[in-house]
Amino acid sequence: MYQNQKSKHETIIFVIFLLIGLSFIIGRFTASVSLIKNFIYHIAYPNLNAANFIFRSVGNFADNLKAVTYLRQENIAYKQKNQELSDKLRNYELMSQEYKSLLNLLKLKSIPNTMSVFAKISVRETSEWYQWLIIDKGSDDGLYNDLPVAMFNKDENTLCAVGRIIETHKSSAKVVLITNPIYALPVEIKGKDINCLAEGFDSNLLKITYIAHGSDVNPGDELVVSELSSVFQKDMPVGVIKDVMDESSLDFKVATAEVFFEAHTLYDAVILVPKPETK
Amino acid sequence: MKELIFYIFLYIVFCLLQFSFGKYLNICGIFPNFILILIVYLGLSKRTINAQILGFLLGLTWDVFSPNVFGVRAIMFASMGYFTGLLGKNFDRDKISTQCVVVLFSNIIYWLGFNFTYYILPNGGSHTSFTFITLQGTMRLIVTVIIAPMVFYILDFLIDYMGRET
Repeated sequence: MYQNQKSKHETIIFVIFLLIGLSFIIGRFTASVSLIKNFIYHIAYPNLNAANFIFRSVGNFADNLKAVTYLRQENIAYKQKNQELSDKLRNYELMSQEYKSLLNLLKLKSIPNTMSVFAKISVRETSEWYQWLIIDKGSDDGLYNDLPVAMFNKDENTLCAVGRIIETHKSSAKVVLITNPIYALPVEIKGKDINCLAEGFDSNLLKITYIAHGSDVNPGDELVVSELSSVFQKDMPVGVIKDVMDESSLDFKVATAEVFFEAHTLYDAVILVPKPETK
Repeated sequence: MKELIFYIFLYIVFCLLQFSFGKYLNICGIFPNFILILIVYLGLSKRTINAQILGFLLGLTWDVFSPNVFGVRAIMFASMGYFTGLLGKNFDRDKISTQCVVVLFSNIIYWLGFNFTYYILPNGGSHTSFTFITLQGTMRLIVTVIIAPMVFYILDFLIDYMGRET
């Protein structure tokens, strides 16, 4: 009974829909049907448009997210590239410095009958900074005790006195600096022919003694190695006079001089090895 | 009231699915007829009146957006809801083969009815011949049949979730 009634309702509703549909089809060109059509359209379209907009926005968002991810990866790649280039630039700068240094060495005036051995400073104790250092060349490179050790002065393009080898090992040598209190170096005032003695003072200053009274020594005068030195070549720059103490009670004047080799950081040393005499 | 809200929800979802998302989700213009699947599902679920009402409203909405004859789809979907409701009593709705066969025949009837209407109506909005069969149309029919069991499953799940299984 219930089923029959339900079927009857279904059929009635179907017939109603059929009639409405047919009336829409038959009267599709009439104003009233157009009005209904437009009315439904104006209700449905904004909602569909909004849904479409949301869907498109989601798509755009996904695209933007993809672009951000891609850009991030690209950024990482560029950072790596930048790092590589920075490393190369750093290497280039180091190489450039080395090139300049080597170029300057080429300009160095060769000292007759001597052979230059270039060495790196491997050890320099900070508590005994002005006393000694160790270089990375030794007897294997033809070095031996009492050889003069100099430093290349880039500004003046000359070699200036640093010290003397006191201990030689197979691949290293210990150098006593001219600033060591045990060291005394015969020097003269450049261009004035005034002989004196430079004694180490355990600082960047040398104590210049035995300057005769009445001799014309002034701050700024340059000190060079005198011919009395048995270690260094004559006229090798040593330092520059900073202060002169003229006390009448003493027989000689005393001065202080700043060493040249401390003007620049000391990384390299040049050991001047006499060439063996050829018969 | 709950039932009404559920059918409004179905109406909105299927409107969006058919009219809005089809633009993005179609493959070479081939997109299944989700509305037809829904109407067949409701008809087979012995919800003939609901199938008719929803079919009529969805068909009418489709007609509104379509430049074709206003009211054709409304009649077609309402008829589909009615006849599948009548035939559904003799079928096992849970079998995938049944779902596929019923959707296939519904689709063919929908296509025939649609074309027949245009054939008999003077000044129809379409110039489609009655016997004109396109590859795209055939593919659309096949895709609709293939996807039908999946839609049936989702709708079953939704109805179970809403506690509406009768």
